[in-house]
Amino acid sequence: MDLETVKERAGPRQFAPKDDMPEEYRKAATRMIQFHANSEVMGGYLEKPFIRQAPSIDRKLAFSAKVQDEIGHAQLLYRAAESLGVKTRDEMLDELARGDGKFLNCFHYPMESWHEVPMIAFFVDGAAMHRQATLKNTSWTPYAHAMDKVCFEEGFHVKHGESMLSELMNGSKATQEKTQAAFETWWPRIIQFFGPTNDKSVHNDFAQEVGLKTKSNDELRDTFLDTYVPKAEKYGLVVPEYPRIEYDEELDTYHVNEDDLNWDEFWTIAKNASEGSHEQINSRAQAQEAVEWVRESMHGWEGASGAGTPQAAD
Amino acid sequence: MIWEVFRQDKPGAYHKHCGNVHAPDRELALQFAAVQHGRRMKTHSLWVVPHDEIGEIDADETSFGGTTDKTYRWATSYTDIEPAAPEVAESEAEQADVEKSLEADS
Repeated sequence: MDLETVKERAGPRQFAPKDDMPEEYRKAATRMIQFHANSEVMGGYLEKPFIRQAPSIDRKLAFSAKVQDEIGHAQLLYRAAESLGVKTRDEMLDELARGDGKFLNCFHYPMESWHEVPMIAFFVDGAAMHRQATLKNTSWTPYAHAMDKVCFEEGFHVKHGESMLSELMNGSKATQEKTQAAFETWWPRIIQFFGPTNDKSVHNDFAQEVGLKTKSNDELRDTFLDTYVPKAEKYGLVVPEYPRIEYDEELDTYHVNEDDLNWDEFWTIAKNASEGSHEQINSRAQAQEAVEWVRESMHGWEGASGAGTPQAAD
Repeated sequence: MIWEVFRQDKPGAYHKHCGNVHAPDRELALQFAAVQHGRRMKTHSLWVVPHDEIGEIDADETSFGGTTDKTYRWATSYTDIEPAAPEVAESEAEQADVEKSLEADS
């Protein structure tokens, strides 16, 4: 299929592994899904240490279930990415361990206290789900199918994340202040989740033209703010003065003043070059190395039992 | 040789198991599947898979999802939280449907 035909036919779940897709499409889709899969891994690893810090047994159960879900989402997404025939799962995991694999800006920052956890578990997950819901209509069918299951599970994550936030903001004054401080630290990063404005985005146009994405960075960021600014305020969080968030009465939507955000930091992170990037990537790489023996053992088993070699059709 | 047949009714949908056919090889299995399972039902694509290649585990052998209380995994359990956004409400509604079907079977 040539690129013109792809653009003509682009629509929800229009293309499948059986279709002969041009290289440009397969590469763009791989880049996007690999980024998404890497982000699930890195988010899961950032949250994992906080299972131990959960303040109650209910939170511990729910939060460990959530981390387990995120790693499961990574598995689904690496499969969807592999189905494009550009890279294998092993290649993508190696790239992540080497520091070549790219992932979401928010997961390049260290997280130090439980007060920060709902910043990820509610706001970042809420932002992710807001984007993922639109990706149910992506043109690459295996990606859309992964999104069906991911979105099914994320409803629990976002509601539980909000429940954590609600608990903290109904706690002591000191707890509320620490949560507010965490919010102020994380808020600009959360807004940058949606990436640069459309005019600065490198991949946006092509991804939309071939139906991989259905909404632009700007549209998603604005509608996210419309929903989550009132939510933050409901729990008594004060939205920081900067970056300036303006309400556009004509369009009935919020806009962020892009110039108030630290884009140098964002682009450093996008190159995996911040101090936090190195920390997060290295700790993940160590974890991957520590369980190398499990993969080795499974590979040995695969060869020994003959699985993977299809039997003759006789 | 038995081949299990999976039918997809339209592009982008899931291939769902719809039956099986006898055939000596993959090519004929596809032809028989097209005739037997794609003749009347709306069909966009069919998969055939050798029956022997399918692994199975059933409810007699394992307790799917475990036996402990896992209500904390369900969005519906957090009753004091209003879904933050339409996509959260949609996810919760999907979960509520599954929970209903689980209750109906037990």
